[in-house]
Amino acid sequence: MTDDEKFFAWLDGELEPKEASEMEARVAANPQLQRLAEQHRALGAQLRGAFDPIAAAPVPERLRSAVRRPANVVDFAAAKRARSMPSLPQWAAMAATLVLGVLLGTQVPQQGPAPVQIQGGKLYAASALNTALNTELASAPTGDVRIGLTFRDQAGEICRSFTGSAGSGLACRESSRWLLKGLFAAPEGEGSNYRMAAGMDPNLAALVESTMSGDPFDAAQEKAARNRQWQ
Amino acid sequence: MDQPSSFEDQLSALLPRLRRFACALSRDPGDADDLTQATIERALKSREQWQTGTRLDSWCYRIMRNLWIDTARSRSRKDAREVPEEEGLNVGEDPRDAMEAAVDLKRIMEAMTRLPDEQREVVALILVEGFGYREVSEMLGIPIGTVSSRLVRGRTALLAMVGEQ
Repeated sequence: MTDDEKFFAWLDGELEPKEASEMEARVAANPQLQRLAEQHRALGAQLRGAFDPIAAAPVPERLRSAVRRPANVVDFAAAKRARSMPSLPQWAAMAATLVLGVLLGTQVPQQGPAPVQIQGGKLYAASALNTALNTELASAPTGDVRIGLTFRDQAGEICRSFTGSAGSGLACRESSRWLLKGLFAAPEGEGSNYRMAAGMDPNLAALVESTMSGDPFDAAQEKAARNRQWQ
Repeated sequence: MDQPSSFEDQLSALLPRLRRFACALSRDPGDADDLTQATIERALKSREQWQTGTRLDSWCYRIMRNLWIDTARSRSRKDAREVPEEEGLNVGEDPRDAMEAAVDLKRIMEAMTRLPDEQREVVALILVEGFGYREVSEMLGIPIGTVSSRLVRGRTALLAMVGEQ
């Protein structure tokens, strides 16, 4: 923390008691800092004075009714999804079986580090797969792993579907990593050419559909999301 | 503490604050209400993703902020076109004896619109909405040090702008 940051953290009540009292003593001994503290307290009051009337104003009818209107429809959709989707632990187990078979199995000569890491019962992208998810754009593919759709899930995290030579899958952001939500092996004996002609694996398509909230990103949104490190 | 009974009730109770944050983000009253509506719709659609016992407000602010940055491209074109009009804001009755306060209000809101997005959102969340550094760091998915440095830059720039007249 710089001195500036510490000063403001003190002003905002964010310092631990010991650091806070040190800063308080420094400010008390320094008229310039005192003046700065006053100015910024006034600024905060002014900001709240400007924005609080919005929160105090009546909420327009269209917003109030938006809270009520789609509730039944949403409940129905949620209930349906809960019935038809396997629970998360089941997914993880299925994905683990698949990833070990597809990506680490004998049919794919293993070169270099494994493309997944297992931690706490979850699968995360690693090495080449992680790099592809971090850097590849659907609009400008360069590597072996091709990105399909990029979108946000219902929790607001960014997800990306991908296709490699041996299969395809979906990964979503979780604390700066890519958590694998599903992995689907290419059918035996069918190479990537077939897959590209046939489009997205139907299982993957179903998973994407149930995960996606809103529309998939266009090329510009995809690029902007990459610039923000997929936050 | 009386706990509102349903998800919809809790969401309704958040509407005034969500509108306020939307105004800080979008700079334009019409856009702000559109953004608020989109946030409500997204929250309702994703309700099973929200974990009971965690803060609904942080979750909704996060949804709003993500919706906002995802539309950054179409927005920046619109922004370049015009200066926002505070007159359109639905802020209730404007007392006539508050002329001076109204001028300050206008000046600080204008200053806010001139902050870069990443500073404006941090200033709004901490200085207006009253969240702590840690909460904002989790909400935005950025390190707490980044929250702190953006906040310093944002509020310093604001003070300079408000003080310059």
